Amino acid sequence: MVVFHRFDGYRPNTGGALYSPPPIRRVLGGPMSASISAPAIEVRDLHRVYDAKPAPVVALRGIDLEVRPGEFFGLLGPNGAGKTTLIKILTTLLLPSSGTARVFGFDVVNETTQIRRIMNMVAGGEQSGYGILTVREQLWMFSQFYGLTRGDGWRRVDELIDAVGLGEQRVQRVSTLSTGERQKMNMVRGLLNDPWIFFLDEPTLGLDVSAARGIRELILDWKGAVDGRTVLLTTHYMAEADELCERIAIVDHGRILAIGTPAELKRRVQAESIFRLEVDRLDHGPGSLARLPGVLSAAAASAGELDAERQTVAVNLVLEDDAALSGVVGALSGLGSQILALRKSEPTLEDVFVELVGRGFDAQEGSNAPEAGGPDDAVQGEPAVEAHSG
Amino acid sequence: MAVGTPSRPVGAPPTPGLGVYDAARDAGGSWAVMRGFVTSVRLGWQMEANWTDPLLFVIYSVAKPVSSALILVFMLEVIAGEAGRSFRSFVVIGSALWAFVMSGIAGLAWAILDDRERYRMLKYLYVSPTNFLVVVLGRGVARLAVGAVGAVITLAVGVVVLGVPFDIAAIDWPLLIISIAIGVVAITALAVVMAAICIQTRMESWSYPEAAAGALFLVSGAVFPVAVLPGPVQAIALVNPLTWWIVGMRDALFPGGISSVGGIGTVFREWFGHASPAPNETILALLATGALATLGANVIFRVSEHRAKDRGLLDRTTGS
Repeated sequence: MVVFHRFDGYRPNTGGALYSPPPIRRVLGGPMSASISAPAIEVRDLHRVYDAKPAPVVALRGIDLEVRPGEFFGLLGPNGAGKTTLIKILTTLLLPSSGTARVFGFDVVNETTQIRRIMNMVAGGEQSGYGILTVREQLWMFSQFYGLTRGDGWRRVDELIDAVGLGEQRVQRVSTLSTGERQKMNMVRGLLNDPWIFFLDEPTLGLDVSAARGIRELILDWKGAVDGRTVLLTTHYMAEADELCERIAIVDHGRILAIGTPAELKRRVQAESIFRLEVDRLDHGPGSLARLPGVLSAAAASAGELDAERQTVAVNLVLEDDAALSGVVGALSGLGSQILALRKSEPTLEDVFVELVGRGFDAQEGSNAPEAGGPDDAVQGEPAVEAHSG
Repeated sequence: MAVGTPSRPVGAPPTPGLGVYDAARDAGGSWAVMRGFVTSVRLGWQMEANWTDPLLFVIYSVAKPVSSALILVFMLEVIAGEAGRSFRSFVVIGSALWAFVMSGIAGLAWAILDDRERYRMLKYLYVSPTNFLVVVLGRGVARLAVGAVGAVITLAVGVVVLGVPFDIAAIDWPLLIISIAIGVVAITALAVVMAAICIQTRMESWSYPEAAAGALFLVSGAVFPVAVLPGPVQAIALVNPLTWWIVGMRDALFPGGISSVGGIGTVFREWFGHASPAPNETILALLATGALATLGANVIFRVSEHRAKDRGLLDRTTGS
């Protein structure tokens, strides 16, 4: 989508002359210390405690995190893990209790103005918006708060409305939008200033499958259009994190338990390669495969039917790594067996979470549901489960 | 590539990557502050007026102040009869001006509560580059304007229907202009204080601004002279900028009427040594109390904002 590519300039007229950005010193009112080589996010020993009765609520317990420019980074954890608190601190909505956090080199406590010009945020699961305004009016007003000129604001809003497929709802009142349409509108608001870093707090929460897919595609389209765009996504949907994020931090009880790519995290719980193999016959049984180099085990699995008379033979293979598979294939050929199916079995991020914490997401959901009026993702007191160190 | 890379020439193709600031980030300077203010004024106006058709909105906007003035006038008539006639103008003018004060004081606080609790947009306004106080001030302008219209219409009803003596040639224009200018600033300052308080409170605090305005109503000389209050309360009234604003407006628009400040045996006479304030004293008192209120409001708002950010109140919704 072309609008996502037009990142660093505006066309004030149809003649094609691009907007010339003002000198940076005037824009920020002082020397810039940030550079693209600085981490997009740099968090050191970040703590956050909410004053609450009957006991203080500890939301973050010494978070250390670094996100590179251009990364699609995910914070994955159950409700109450501390994800939203972290995102609130990074978006300058909340002060940390101690520790430091920087966004593209700007401090979240003392350099909020600079951060607000290069970031934007969208949260999910909420019915936000000025219901009495039209979609176009509301978005244009935000374009003005983000410093676009009157004309540029209208142009930018119209471009983005078209890009996200809200053209038919352009002059509809916000109160009449469906949940999915409203979230698309929120995404447009978040993209008005072409943020360097886009904070997304559970952006697909409460959306149906189709709307959620639309939002995910939109995020990927936008991010992929220009090198360097950074996204920090919080989610408790494992599949979403797996699909979108280049790296993921698994968070629980205010601590980061593990950081890595989805593949790296999965390897924590399953170092070996596991395959399910189906052949037409295996004369000497699975034991003949277990003796091959690189094969850790080979066990018979439930067989299927090849036709009315013959059954297939299924084997669960555990290999040291994927390379050992070629030896198995060669051996089967030598034994006169024909491979009918081969499927690699991979752990999910939930398996990783269970391995790290000792329980699944669902076990947490009920006990730490957000409370109206209180910190919405904090947990009270000490953690019920001692976290395994990453 | 450094963020501070000089801008590329006009007409050059878009630069990939993040190396150049774009128009969206040009949010600095007084022009941008003005743009943010004007936008929030527009937002406030649309939120105020978009819910109904214009005629109904006008009726709604003026019905409350006019009926308030009429109620007070009829009460005065019933209680004091003929003796109360001399106070009729005093009451009508005071209640008309109070409509403006009420709208102004409540407007900003309600904008905060509306945006946070009802529309859930306060956090998005807060994390935009536009100064938060500028946005809040702009959001309140619409209510102030509605209050001003209500006040003018109430005064007109008072002159035409209730016989309030009015002579356009007798208006003290310098006093009127100065009183309006400083008065608007002072009322806005009090509104900012209320907004700062409402940042800290829960959704149920919709009534706080009206309650606070009601308390100020008692110590501002709007519908009865300050002289009827006990001595210590009179002293409070004399440091209230609204008291001096109402005195200034009354003296400018309706010279020769009853003053709400001064009189024999009053705290004013003790402090100033004469019975009633001269116009220059009114202006000075309004300026001093208004400046104090503005300074205090700025400090209180900053402290409240910091506390809200520290306690996570800016996106808190307590209604659901």
